[in-house]
Amino acid sequence: MTELRSLRRRVELGLIVLIAIITASAYALAGLGASASLPADLLPFLGIVLGLLLVAHLAVRRFAPNADGLILPLAALLNGLGYVFIARLDNDLAAPQATWTAIGIGAFVATLVLVRRPRDLQRYRYTFLLAGLVLLILPFTPIGFANLGAQIWVRLGPLTFQPGELAKLAMLLFFAGYLVENRELLSVSTFRIGPLMLPDPKRLGPLILALGAALFIFVQQNDLGPSLMIFTVFLVMIWVATERLSYLVLGSGLFVVGAYLAYTQFAHVAPRFEVWLDPWRPEVIRGEAYQIVQSTYALAQGGLTGTGLGLGNPERVPVVTTDFIFTAIGEELGLVGATAVLITFLLLVGSALRLAVVAEHPYDKLLAVGIATLIATQVFIIVGGITRVLPLTGIALPFVSYGGSSLIVNYVLLGLLLRLSHDVTTRQLRKVEAEAAAVPA
Amino acid sequence: MNRQIRRLTVGVLLCFLVLFGQLNRIQVFQAQELQDNPDNTRQVVANYSRPRGTISTIDGTVVARSVEVDTALRRQREYPEGELFAQISGHFSLHFGASGVERTYDTELAGQTPELELRNLADLFVDRDRSGSLVLSVRADVQAAARDALGDRPGSVVALDPRTGEILALWSWPSFDPNLVSSPDIAQATEARSLYLLDPRNPMLGRTYQERYFPGSSFKVVVSAAGLESGLVTMDQPSYDRQSTWTPPLTSRAITNAGGSVCGGSLAEILRVSCNTAYAEMGALTLGPDVMAEGAEAFGFNSRPPIDLPAPALSVFPTDYGEALSTPGADQPDPAVPGTVFENTPSLAQAAIGQHDVSATPLQMALVAAGVANGGNIMQPHVVHELRDADGGLIERYEPEVWRRAMSPANAAALRQAMIGVVTSGTGTSMAIPGYEVGGKTGTARLAEGTASTHAWMIGFAGPPGETPHVAVAVVVLAEEGAGEQSGGRVAAPVARTVLETALSPAAPPVTPPGSEPEPDPGT
Repeated sequence: MTELRSLRRRVELGLIVLIAIITASAYALAGLGASASLPADLLPFLGIVLGLLLVAHLAVRRFAPNADGLILPLAALLNGLGYVFIARLDNDLAAPQATWTAIGIGAFVATLVLVRRPRDLQRYRYTFLLAGLVLLILPFTPIGFANLGAQIWVRLGPLTFQPGELAKLAMLLFFAGYLVENRELLSVSTFRIGPLMLPDPKRLGPLILALGAALFIFVQQNDLGPSLMIFTVFLVMIWVATERLSYLVLGSGLFVVGAYLAYTQFAHVAPRFEVWLDPWRPEVIRGEAYQIVQSTYALAQGGLTGTGLGLGNPERVPVVTTDFIFTAIGEELGLVGATAVLITFLLLVGSALRLAVVAEHPYDKLLAVGIATLIATQVFIIVGGITRVLPLTGIALPFVSYGGSSLIVNYVLLGLLLRLSHDVTTRQLRKVEAEAAAVPA
Repeated sequence: MNRQIRRLTVGVLLCFLVLFGQLNRIQVFQAQELQDNPDNTRQVVANYSRPRGTISTIDGTVVARSVEVDTALRRQREYPEGELFAQISGHFSLHFGASGVERTYDTELAGQTPELELRNLADLFVDRDRSGSLVLSVRADVQAAARDALGDRPGSVVALDPRTGEILALWSWPSFDPNLVSSPDIAQATEARSLYLLDPRNPMLGRTYQERYFPGSSFKVVVSAAGLESGLVTMDQPSYDRQSTWTPPLTSRAITNAGGSVCGGSLAEILRVSCNTAYAEMGALTLGPDVMAEGAEAFGFNSRPPIDLPAPALSVFPTDYGEALSTPGADQPDPAVPGTVFENTPSLAQAAIGQHDVSATPLQMALVAAGVANGGNIMQPHVVHELRDADGGLIERYEPEVWRRAMSPANAAALRQAMIGVVTSGTGTSMAIPGYEVGGKTGTARLAEGTASTHAWMIGFAGPPGETPHVAVAVVVLAEEGAGEQSGGRVAAPVARTVLETALSPAAPPVTPPGSEPEPDPGT
């Protein structure tokens, strides 16, 4: 048992050191590219990155020693690369992002310390539902405000944040708890529509509620992203929990119908779709489609290997530090760098999904599935939006984009993942040991 | 549940594959098409913001340089001399592209030639300016002399070294200020450009090499050369009748001499006094269409001169004069026999005195004078003398090359003497410079039959006695509304003389080649 533990932690430590070096090298290259001189604060920078990651590593060693050694370094790589790009794109954002990263690591450690057993969270599922709904509505209250056309912000004194980011965490925890409780009932079908077997309409209430909330937010915020994200996570979780494909099919169908109605009924929704279908029309190319068109040019400029760090012109794309940070990576690091980022996400999501398979308790499984889906969906929505696979919708690229709310919530998710990983591994190891003990010598 | 989770894993993988596929489409397969989209200004802005070399004259005057500015574009192009070199340097605009040398030497100035890039391969990691700097063969003093001598009369001046083809001055008035057109402020640049484009005199056009005019009598040099080269004309034979008018066959429209004067005789004599009747007869009957066309094309007519400036105009000598109608002393018309009359022989007679459809750029006429001066060889004209890297190291120097062998050295020497006669005692006496051998030919080109307005031409050369002339020149002062007749000898010759005189004086010693990022000018 200790052998595996020490192996996993050594792998983690080695990867962390490697990632600190990669991040510092990228930072140095970005400085060389942009101003032809090495950043003066290169060594302190390396020290701080290494320091922050070591704090996280030591916390894992202390509180989740059996956890998968790959998860933290993967997130650290994304966070580090994101920071290098943010610092290179807008120097004024470098210090806040560094602060947010430190707070994020703090939240990560706090999660490991406070959540001793993920299943304990199941108890608070309705608290999470309430919190989630309140957080979703918050931007429409007097303390909420709109920025860049999206009504997703809240101001509390000097602090501004996006409650939607916290809401997705709350909703995820609610879904996991609720579905574990009701999965038996939800999977019993009592009537059928055509080939679809459906459960008791009473049980469908939450589904309808989630769908309604998603579409309401979609229309109100003029932003498809957050609602699509939450709804997808919900659908995937209910499908996995009940093992009934009909939820996934029916839910996606309803969402498409709802989105189509919104498209035809609400004036401000239609242009988004039209820009998506053809951004090259002269009447939008310098207007609504400007962002996506400039982003496409940036990616084309990057080509296979990119212009080089600090040598591109990513500042020509509006809001490049948040929603469009992937464009900057694609421009300066090329298809190669963009693919590396996608693969990093895939490994992170894959680790979470592997955990879900290995875990025994349904709550653990659902939580891991939820976290994996949440990260994967965010990546797919924003990268898909940038590459015009989907209509463009503003959403943060997890760990990479500038923004405190998103970063902190993602680190909490990461903490939960490591906590799950530790629990699952520990239980499995105990089982193996018990079996070994049972075998007569 | 595990079955669903495995399916979900496959689903996530597929979604990411879609993203990967679409990224490939944008970044690799469509990349070129997207970069070539006219709406995509990335490449243009990147080119504009990159360090760009300095353009300076051979005597050290800065023509164009990049200055660093505190805007998103990082750099801006500056032309310290304003209008003076505008039609050589051209402009370098974010919005309207480039012209002139800025256009023909774009890759060199931007440092993107293999030589410049290889040179700096070793210091990939050091911030080095890779741009190349151009040293023009143009002399600032000759250019300024051309500007001052022409004054505010519309026209063009070309001066070059006949021995090498190096352009010494290339001026036409009105000119334009490239600073305005190259302004990164789109409103200012657009306004300046629109105003220039509205001007019928076309200030932004490089009219020295991109605009054609009737050459008038200056074309008689070409006719003389054609005659000598064909062997049909020598310095002594034939001798044309002394008369004041001559009427070509098939027409009643007579060709007259300037001021109704009576003239005739052999080549040197008719060139000296610019005898229309004699040249019309020489072109139309003595030489005929084929010899005339061959002679003109030997000087570069009907082809674009290989000058290192964008889109030079070709000078035109029409070659089609219809069917042969009759040959004197023969039953059947024979086009090969001199004296044969063609359907358009009257036009050929007009062409022989530089009228009809003959038209030439000032550059072409300067090359005609240069060819005669340089033993019959016309050298490739060029404005760039050498290319240097950002540190001033020489990368490439222009090597003189022959463009056209227009005449044999012997014929060229004879014609040269005849042209010297024009200046010593003919129509071009006001071009004479004491102490130098000066030859030339005047031209007075009538814009249309019956109008008084004329373009005044002077082409010629000058140099120390006994040497190949050092400078060839072409000056055209354009007809102006109500200006009446202006003769080449009176109007254009003094301009040519001033330019020749300045060019014959020693050039200021070349200064150390400037780097591309000059010291900030304390005066501005």
